[in-house]
Amino acid sequence: MRVKMTVMAALATLASSVGLYPLFASGTWFWSGLGAVIVVAGAGLLMRRLRAPSLLGALGGLGALHLYLNARFASEQALLGLVPTPGSLRRLGELMGDGWNAANQYAAPVPLVPGIELLAATGIGLVAVAVDLLAVRLRRSAPAGLPLLAMYSVPAAVREDSVSWIAFGLGALGFLMLLMADAREQVGGWGRAVFTRRWSESTAEQPVERPDSSGMAASGRRIGVAAVAVAVLLPTFIPGIHPRGLFGMGGSGGGGSQTVTTVEPLAQLKRDLNGPNSDAVILTYRTDDTERPDYLRMYALDKFEGDRWTYTALPSSSRDRVSDRDLPTPPGLSTARFRRVNTQIKVRRAVKKVDFLPAPYAPNRVSIKGDWRAHPQSLMIYSLRDSASGRSYTVSSLRTQPTSAQLAQSGRYPSEIVTPYTKLPNSIPPQVRKLAEEVTQGAPTAYEQAVRLQRWFTETGGFTYDLNPPSPSSPNDLADFLLNSKRGYCEQFAASMAVMARILNIPARVAIGYTAGTQVGQGEWEVRSKDAHAWPELYFEGAGWVRFEPTPAGAGGQGTAATPPYTQQLAEQPTEEPTEAPDPESSSSVTQSPNPTTGPNSRPEDGGADVGAEDEQSSGLPIPVGWLAGGLLVILLLAAPMAARLLTRRRRWSAVAAAPLPSTTGPPSGAAAHAAWREVHADALDHGLSWRQSDSPRAAARRLGELLELDPPASQALSRIARAEEVARYARSRPPAADLRADVRTVRTAMSAAVGRRARLRARFLPPSTMSEFRDAGTRAMEAAGRLNAAFRWPRNK
Amino acid sequence: MAVGTHGESYIETDPPGSPGRQPQGGPGHGLDGLAQVATKIRDAIESVIEGKPGVVRLALTVLLAEGHLLIEDVPGVGKTMLAKALARSIDCSVRRVQFTPDLLPSDITGVSAYNQERREFEFKPGPVFAHIVVGDEINRASPKTQSALLECMEERQVTVDGTTYSLEQPFMVIATQNPVEMEGTYPLPEAQRDRFTARISMGYPDPTAELEMLDVHGQSAPLERLSPVAHANDVRDIINVVRHQHVAPAVKQYAIELVSATRKHPELRLGASPRATLHLVRAARAYAALDDRDYVLPDDIQDLAVPVLAHRLLPTAEAQVERRRPEQVVAELVNRLPVPSPRK
Repeated sequence: MRVKMTVMAALATLASSVGLYPLFASGTWFWSGLGAVIVVAGAGLLMRRLRAPSLLGALGGLGALHLYLNARFASEQALLGLVPTPGSLRRLGELMGDGWNAANQYAAPVPLVPGIELLAATGIGLVAVAVDLLAVRLRRSAPAGLPLLAMYSVPAAVREDSVSWIAFGLGALGFLMLLMADAREQVGGWGRAVFTRRWSESTAEQPVERPDSSGMAASGRRIGVAAVAVAVLLPTFIPGIHPRGLFGMGGSGGGGSQTVTTVEPLAQLKRDLNGPNSDAVILTYRTDDTERPDYLRMYALDKFEGDRWTYTALPSSSRDRVSDRDLPTPPGLSTARFRRVNTQIKVRRAVKKVDFLPAPYAPNRVSIKGDWRAHPQSLMIYSLRDSASGRSYTVSSLRTQPTSAQLAQSGRYPSEIVTPYTKLPNSIPPQVRKLAEEVTQGAPTAYEQAVRLQRWFTETGGFTYDLNPPSPSSPNDLADFLLNSKRGYCEQFAASMAVMARILNIPARVAIGYTAGTQVGQGEWEVRSKDAHAWPELYFEGAGWVRFEPTPAGAGGQGTAATPPYTQQLAEQPTEEPTEAPDPESSSSVTQSPNPTTGPNSRPEDGGADVGAEDEQSSGLPIPVGWLAGGLLVILLLAAPMAARLLTRRRRWSAVAAAPLPSTTGPPSGAAAHAAWREVHADALDHGLSWRQSDSPRAAARRLGELLELDPPASQALSRIARAEEVARYARSRPPAADLRADVRTVRTAMSAAVGRRARLRARFLPPSTMSEFRDAGTRAMEAAGRLNAAFRWPRNK
Repeated sequence: MAVGTHGESYIETDPPGSPGRQPQGGPGHGLDGLAQVATKIRDAIESVIEGKPGVVRLALTVLLAEGHLLIEDVPGVGKTMLAKALARSIDCSVRRVQFTPDLLPSDITGVSAYNQERREFEFKPGPVFAHIVVGDEINRASPKTQSALLECMEERQVTVDGTTYSLEQPFMVIATQNPVEMEGTYPLPEAQRDRFTARISMGYPDPTAELEMLDVHGQSAPLERLSPVAHANDVRDIINVVRHQHVAPAVKQYAIELVSATRKHPELRLGASPRATLHLVRAARAYAALDDRDYVLPDDIQDLAVPVLAHRLLPTAEAQVERRRPEQVVAELVNRLPVPSPRK
C-alpha cells in the first residue's frame, strides 16, 4: 500500500507543479521536474524497503535529488556523471546563481536558461521530498497539502494575472487523490464497508483481505470534485470575489500585485515643488521636436473622489509590455494633425522609485530595459518591479497639434469616454456648479467653454499662484480655493479646472508629471524638481486628450509652464470682447465666427443637452439592458435542463426511427426497446422515483408499479416496455412489436399523476436525469483514477 | 434388491415399474413439452407439499439442471417428504439411504461379493445406482462415507475395485440434513457441499397451509397416492431442452461478477468456486425454462443466487461473531451489483 501512497504523493506533486507553467517561457522544465519527482519517489521506496527511519528517508530523498541534479545539470563535472565532486558542486552553484540572477532580471515568464531549469527542478524535488515525508512516511496527508500549496502559490504570487483554473483544478485534484488514497487505507481498517465494484475492474485483482471502501470513496470523490468545481466556478459568479483576487493573491504585495497603485502622486508633487531639493535635476532629455517640447507626463488621474484626484487601479498583465511594439493608439486621436517626436530621456540616478515613466503624451513606442507596461487607456507607462532611476530610455510620441477650429468642431463624445471621465461625486457644492456655469456662460462649444475656464483661471479670475496656500477655511478644499482663497499652485488649478470641465460635461482628467523644463542646449533640456507639475487634460473627439494650462506661468507662477498654442488662438479672439460680463450677444457673435456650420455643439444649450442626454443614455440604458440580458441568461439557464431533456428524448426516438423497425425481418433490433427503457428510466429519475442499479427491467417495472400503484393500462404499458427491453437485452429473439412510444407516454402520464405537485413540476422544468450524463462522465473519470489506484495496488499483492 | 442392513440404517428399494406407476401422456419437444412435463411434476409434488411453491420450483430447477439438492431444515417440516415426492412423481428408480454414523462407503457405492456358484467376484451395485438417490440425514455419516458420494455426484460414476461403473441418467442426489442437532453429526466437507447445486430449506408452513395439511394428512397418506407423472426419458428430454437455453453474454458476465464478488467479500473466508458459477448458470437455465422462457434473465440469477451460492461460502470469524450468515451476504451482493445493461 505504501507503493500506492508513494505514487499518489508523486502524482500530487506533479499535478501541483503544473501550476508553475506561467513562470517559464517554455515547457521543458516540466520534464526536469518529472525526473526529480520520480527520483525522489524511487528513493523513498528504496528507503522504506530498507526500513530506514522517516528522517533518514527524507535525507535519502534529498541525496537522491542531489544525484539527479548532478546527472541532469552537472554530469560533466560529476564523477561517473553522477557522484558529486567539488567541481560539480561548483557548477551547480554557478547555475543556481545564474538562475537566481535570471529570475531577478526577468519578469515571468522567464526564459528557460539551465539555471532556471535547475531552480525549478530543485524546487519541485524539494516539494516532492516534503510531500513524501509527510504523506507517506508520517501518514499526514492533509499537511502534505502545505508544500503543494507553497509550490502553487509561487506563480500566484509572482504573476499578476492569475494562474489558470485548469492548473488550479489539476493541483487540487492531485491533492485530493493523495487524500483519497490515504483515507481509503485508513477507512479500510475500520471494518465492513459497502461493496460495489464492477467485475471488469476487479478480475485483475487478488482477493483483498481489506474491506473494500469504494462505496465511500465514490461519495468522497463526488464531494471532492464538487468542492473543486465550486472553488473554480464560484468566484466567477460572485462579483465581489474577483478570480484574480483569489488566484492572484490580491492586494498590493511587494511587487506582486495585479493592480498598480503607488504613493499619492499629488503628495509627491507637493514635495517636489516645495521641498529643499527643488532645484535638483530630475532628468535630462534630448528631443527632435522643433517647437518647445510638450510636458512629460507620468500619471493620469481619472477619478475624482470629492477632495482629491486619484487613478483607478490599473489592471496589469504581461500583454501590456511596452517592449518592441507599438502602444495602442491614443484614444480619440483621429482627425487632428499630429507629429512624431522622439525623446531620449535620462533619469538621474539619485531619483529613487521612478516606477512611472515621465514621457511626452502620447507615447507610441518606448524602448527601455526591464519590464515596463503601458495602460492602454491612459497610456501611462509603469513597472511593477523596475525603477527608471539612472536609466536612459527613448520615447517616440505622437504630439497632437489640433487647431482651435478642429477642437471647436469636435463632435459627440463616445460613451466609454463620457461615462468614466465626467463622473463626479454628489458632494460637489452647488456654488461650484453655479460658478462653472457662470464662467462659461454663453460659450457655444465645449472647446470654448474650456478656453474660457482656462482664461478665467489664468487671467480674469483673480487667482494667485502660491506654493504655500493658506489652510482652507471651509472643509471642502475645492470650494475654498475657487470661492474664497483663490490662492494655490498647479495642483489646485489643475484639479479645479478638471472638476469644472466635468461639471460642464467635458471629459477631463488630471495629469501629473513635469513641464518641459529649461533648455540647456540644442535640443537638450533639463528638468528639475521644481518643474513638477499638474495640469488638466480635456478630451475632444478627433484630437483625443488635449492639455490645458490653468496654472499661471512665468515668474509669478509655475515658472516653466506654457499655455498650449491651440488654447491661445481662440483666446486671442474674445479678448476684444469683455469676458468679465459675457452676454448672449457676444457669445452668439463668437458662435458664428469659428463655426457657422451646424454641428452638435453649435449652440450651448444643444451642446450641453446633447452631452447630458448622451450621458443619461450611456449610464441609463445599460442598466435595463444589463438586467434584461441577465434575466434572459437566467431564464436560459433555467430552461437548459428542460431543453436538454426534450432534446435527449427526441434524439433517442429519432435514433430508433432511423434504425430498422423491429417488425421487419432481419437482425433483431432492440433499439426501440432500449430507447423506451431509457426514457422510462429518465422519467423515473425526473419524478424523483428511486431506481436501483441492481434491478433488472422486470424487477424495476414491478417496483415502479407497486410504488406508483399504477392503474392496469399504465401497468401493462410499463410491463410491455420492460419485457421488450428484457428480450432486447438478453434473448435471442426480437422484442415483440408494440407502440413503445405510446406506452412510454402512458407511463409518464401515470408517473406525473402519482407523484406530488413539486416532483411533477421538477420533472417538467428541472429534470434531474439531464444531470446524469455529467455525473456519469464524472464517475468515469473517477473510475479511471480508481483503476490507477488498483494498478498500483497490484504489485504489492504479488 | 436389498443391499443389506447395518444397525439402524436401512436402504429402501423402490424399483421402477411397480404397479400403478405408469407415466401419463408423452411429452412434446422443446419448451412446450418441458412446460407440460414440469407442470405435471410440480402439481404432483404440490399435492403432497402444500404451500411451498418456491421450494418445489427450486427442487425442480435442480432436477432439470442435472444437479443435486441439499435440503436443510429442522426435523418435521417435510424434507424427506419433498425428496420422496419428487422421486415418486417421476417414473424412475429411486433409492433411499438413511445415513448413520456406522454407514460404510460400500453401503453406498456397492460391493464386490464372491459368487460361490460362479466362483468369481461380482459387483453388487449400491443404492447410488438409481436415478434418484435420497440421502436422509446425510451429516450423520462419517466423512469417509460422505466422501464416497463425491465421485458419484460429480462424475456420475462409481469406481469399485478398480472398475468404473456409470450411473444412471438422469441422476440426482437429494440429501437432507438437520442444522440444529449437532451432536453426533459430521458437517459436510466443503468439497461435498460444493457438489450440491442448491441448498434449500423448507421453512415452516403458514397457518392455512398447516391446517390444510392436517386435513389432508389426517385422512390419508398423500405420498402413497402419488403416482408417477413423467418417465425418466421425459426428464432426460427436458434436461436436453434446458441445456440449449440461451444465456446472453451479459447475463453470463453478471453471474461471474456475482460469484467473483463473493471471493473478494471481506466477510467471507471462502468464496464460491468456478463450479458454483457453472451451477448457477445451469440452474438459471432450468429456472428460466420453468418460467416458460427460452432465455435467461438476470432475475433468474438473482433468484437463485442465495440457494446456489450461500451453502458454499464460509464466513470469517468476525462475521460469525456478528452473526452474519452467508445468505445475508449473498442477498446484499445481489442488491448491490448493477444488472448488466447496454452501454449508452
